[in-house]
Amino acid sequence: MVDPASFRDPSGFVYRRDGVVYRQVQRSAAADWEAFQASGLYERLVGARLVVEHEEVALDLAAAPDAVAVIRPRAIEFISYPYEWAFSQLKEAALLTLELQSRALDAGMRLKDASVYNIQFDAGRPILIDSLSFEEAAPTEPWPAYRQFCEHFLAPLALIAHRDVRCGLMLREFIDGIPLDFAARLLPGRTRLNLGLSAHVHLHAGAQRRASKEPPPADGAERRERRISETGQRALLDSLRRTVEGLRYDPSSQWVDYATTTSYSDEGTASKGEIVREMLADAGGATAWDLGANVGVYSAMAADAGYRVIAFDQDAASVEAHWRRVRGDGNPAILPLILDLANPSPSIGWALEERRSFLERGEPDVILALALVHHLAIGNNVPLPAVARLFARMAPHAIVEFVPKEDPMTRRLLAARPDIFADYTIDGFREAFGKAFRIERESRVADSPRTLFLLQRN
Amino acid sequence: MPLLAYIDPGSGSMLLQVILAGVLAIPFFFRRLIADGLHRIRGDRTAAKPVEGGEDASTDR
Repeated sequence: MVDPASFRDPSGFVYRRDGVVYRQVQRSAAADWEAFQASGLYERLVGARLVVEHEEVALDLAAAPDAVAVIRPRAIEFISYPYEWAFSQLKEAALLTLELQSRALDAGMRLKDASVYNIQFDAGRPILIDSLSFEEAAPTEPWPAYRQFCEHFLAPLALIAHRDVRCGLMLREFIDGIPLDFAARLLPGRTRLNLGLSAHVHLHAGAQRRASKEPPPADGAERRERRISETGQRALLDSLRRTVEGLRYDPSSQWVDYATTTSYSDEGTASKGEIVREMLADAGGATAWDLGANVGVYSAMAADAGYRVIAFDQDAASVEAHWRRVRGDGNPAILPLILDLANPSPSIGWALEERRSFLERGEPDVILALALVHHLAIGNNVPLPAVARLFARMAPHAIVEFVPKEDPMTRRLLAARPDIFADYTIDGFREAFGKAFRIERESRVADSPRTLFLLQRN
Repeated sequence: MPLLAYIDPGSGSMLLQVILAGVLAIPFFFRRLIADGLHRIRGDRTAAKPVEGGEDASTDR
């Protein structure tokens, strides 16, 4: 089955055969593919862990005619998308793209595209997954991916750094990057004083606007070939790198402080930790999704218990803080991502098949939903049976915390509104979750009104 | 070699790129000259240290 996201570049495509991902290289790209191998670029990039490694397999595994090679890339555990990344993750992906282009130039090649979707996070680091992105080129040819780099990386990064971290979510709407005229309008006027942003976003938007007003070239007219100097090529890359490096975002939000301002006493925290650890051990498995992970206290617990963890939170500042921590600790077992469970990433793109929805990207062995259900049930009015059904769709095991109405955090959610949640009780919870799951264990947290449940899907 | 890009490089983007490459090349050239000079001086003093890989290795951690 051909991957529905793999149609833009005619030089090859991705497909699945018996659940294994392959990439077929087409005859039209044979010379570039040959050069990529022969120049030693592939080996160097794999050695530096900048490109995902692959194995060349027999041509009879090809999915269509005209194959010159078939490769089996190492599988990436969880495919994430840029609208789920924290600022620093997008920034690292941008710097990786520029580094790849720089190294490609050293080898007499170049990146033919700069799609943000070609980068994935693998064991705690960004990596290029599209090994067909390289082509032979003279260093005097302008970089065809310059525009794409600015739209896919620079514009969203600049908007987050200079306007608001939630601008990152706009990538969900603009699948091919933020249009530069739009970014230029949204950025504060002072960004015109930033040399890099002024050139690569503001002037760039103006150049596009002027070009769009030009009459189309005459039918059959030769396309004008533009040339730049090799120094100019490197200078442009250097300027993009400096511009990206100069963009900063400081995570601070009510949620970042959440872990230190919870309603838990020391005894309660210790008790909850102990119960979660036991439940993680009882659940058994290799992968865990921590929903509402905040800055990752319990994600770290799951990682310590041997799980590979995807840690979701809707708050971009918390995810940023979490990513910086796991990056600093060099912990490759945890990948923090931005996700609002009340409105998770949908399927988007052509025929709604290019980027898959959150629920179509695999199933972990266990989900953790700690201090989350009251936000969904009361903060978001989702009935408990609907929460239970969603959790049961997601994983065979769930560790769920029930935060009753008498808890200060729930009281806060109800502070300014009438209590219309008659079924929001521990019995209501047991009944709602008892349909889709079997309650394996129920443990009251010491010195707290909260209860933890270990659930197994029926 | 003709441009065979499958993505649309955009005619405005290409024109701007040519202009920027020309303008940015000048300070870049001198900066690199100075950086190379400094490397050479430092390299002479501390011959054991490798000269390569300074700025360009930014993402290769």
